[in-house]
Amino acid sequence: MLHDQQPLATDQQPPAPNLSLMTARLYDPLLKVYRNYTARVFLQAIITIWVVMTLTFVLVRLMPGNPVDVLVEQILTAEGISYQEAYDRIAASFNIDKDATPLDQYLQWLGDLLRLDLGTSITSPGTKVIDEIARFLPWTVFAVGTGLLISFVLGIFAGMPMAYYRGSKLDHILSFFSSFSTGVPNYIWGLLIIIGPGISWRWFDIGALRGTYDVGLTPGVNAEFILSALEHAALPVFTYIIAILGTWMLSMKSSTTGVLNEDYVNVAEARGLKERTVISSYVGRNAALPLFTQLTISIGFVLSSGVVVEEIFVYWGIGHLLFQSITVRDYTTLQGVVLLLTAVIVFSNLFADLTYGLLDPRVRVSGEK
Amino acid sequence: MSAMSPETILRVDELSIVYRTDRGDVRATNDISFDLKRGEAMALIGESGSGKTTISLALIRKLPKNAVVTSGQILYQHDSNVQDVLGLSRRQLRSFRWNDCAMVFQGAQNAFNPVLKIRKQFEDTARAHGWADKTAIRKRALSLLELVRLDPERVYDSFPHELSGGMKQRTLLALGVLLSPQVVILDEPTTALDILTQRAIIDVLNDMQRKLQFSIIFISHDLSLAAEMADTVATVYAGEIVEIGGVDEIFYRSLHPYTYGLLTSVPTLEHAQDVLQSIPGSPPNLIAPPSGCKFHPRCSFASDQCQVDSPPLQLDIGSHLAACWHKDRLLASRKEDA
Repeated sequence: MLHDQQPLATDQQPPAPNLSLMTARLYDPLLKVYRNYTARVFLQAIITIWVVMTLTFVLVRLMPGNPVDVLVEQILTAEGISYQEAYDRIAASFNIDKDATPLDQYLQWLGDLLRLDLGTSITSPGTKVIDEIARFLPWTVFAVGTGLLISFVLGIFAGMPMAYYRGSKLDHILSFFSSFSTGVPNYIWGLLIIIGPGISWRWFDIGALRGTYDVGLTPGVNAEFILSALEHAALPVFTYIIAILGTWMLSMKSSTTGVLNEDYVNVAEARGLKERTVISSYVGRNAALPLFTQLTISIGFVLSSGVVVEEIFVYWGIGHLLFQSITVRDYTTLQGVVLLLTAVIVFSNLFADLTYGLLDPRVRVSGEK
Repeated sequence: MSAMSPETILRVDELSIVYRTDRGDVRATNDISFDLKRGEAMALIGESGSGKTTISLALIRKLPKNAVVTSGQILYQHDSNVQDVLGLSRRQLRSFRWNDCAMVFQGAQNAFNPVLKIRKQFEDTARAHGWADKTAIRKRALSLLELVRLDPERVYDSFPHELSGGMKQRTLLALGVLLSPQVVILDEPTTALDILTQRAIIDVLNDMQRKLQFSIIFISHDLSLAAEMADTVATVYAGEIVEIGGVDEIFYRSLHPYTYGLLTSVPTLEHAQDVLQSIPGSPPNLIAPPSGCKFHPRCSFASDQCQVDSPPLQLDIGSHLAACWHKDRLLASRKEDA
């Protein structure tokens, strides 16, 4: 918009604006990029991730202990050698340059990162961090994704009747459940499931459900493996569903309540539309809109909050990897996992922002906005 | 009441509606009766809160949940077949709405689903009433949009937010007559629109009614609109029709002090500004309405009789009815003024 007016303004004062024209020419392309909404939010996302990564880098190193100390203690008692000897031996087996200052490490790591290289694990040399993540991440995505989708769909279908029959017994019961489900954190739900049905009532064998599939099975497309994987994922998934369902129900209820008061719903009924059409295309569709944004945003949230749940059920996903690397102070792996979680959170927000326009025609973003 | 003549499309017979509220029952309408003829345009005029909208919502059974119809009938005649709208089953009601009686709501700004294109909303409406041929729907819709003086192709493929307020109002009018209803209810069709758009809407309405031959009930506190569009005018006060008659009878020989008050509170080109008068007081509390004639606390003609006895709606001349004990004094005072 501003561009169109510039020539007008310069026409009126011909001699002076030469300088400003030059600077304008210089900044114009940059400004144009910045004005582009997508480019701008993308840039902001990158900066956010960089800040979080730098903080992680520092915080990880401020933790008491370091990767070498953790193992030195073990070797000292086991082999009866001197502290220095043990220290040197372990340091040598690790993938580190002892002389590098933290700043050198930071720059080195940042440089690698720009080449999309997460580096190799400190404590198990030769293992690439990216491979470790690739090994554990799919299980987390599977469990969290399933839990999130099931709870989302259930929440939408349970939330609408709550709004339609507001104040009824049904509403009271479901509202109570929702508040309870939202209020209790997912790891508490996890513990309750282990203690109740798992240990006290022995509905299933908790011990046999460790890991992501039964030992001895080969991953692949065969019924035995898939069934086993589903069985192992069942408890974490159930925990996610229970813990998030309430949020969806309450969101959908309040969203539907708002939409039910809208004129267009009233008019739709006056138009003699079938009840089914009004509920799905007029009420449901408009009420669910804001929830889709919430869904994309919550992907990152659930992924990171699932870390503890995975540890409780000994489900070998990304949370398990994170715990392991904290225990042995594997800085690079730790940084890699945190980077992943941060990126997922930031980009799911970004994704929500950019795709909302596809769902709601009113907010289709144009470059100028 | 007499049998319905074939010319009568809609008969409202002693309709009383109460809103149940925490503070008590609000008697929103009380023994309302009127006939609407084929092709007739009837205006319901009155202050806000007088019960105009309640009457119109009752006609399509779209009253709020806390409303109860305590007595009366709404008879609808179609192909010499008379039905009581209040007794329709859910299915019958769904088909009655829009197909027989469409309502263009007040404030069309939010009348359209924001996430669906106008095209989809026309199609939804047509399909709900058993009309599946998309090309035929499109043809009909485009011709109606043309009739309301919009650019049919563009509007048909727009989202509601891409249209201006006046365009939405006109689109809603076009949607209202999509199924060729016999009765179209217009609730404040021109409020919230600027004066030029109002003009356009009035022209469009007159034009459409001439071409499509439906009956109109419209609710307005805009008397000039009523004067311009209506054949019959009914004045509603405190949930009752206090005067009803032909448009000329109401405007030039009003028999109820309230109607007269409404007329003199509107500026005209002929009178100087200082002749304008407002009606003193405010609309009555409908939970505990005044005794006798409900207008008596605000009426300059009120006598002792008015405080005790409620005047019946009585026939004067022609089809002109009014509920006032002092019609003659009102007429006499108007002669003196002139």
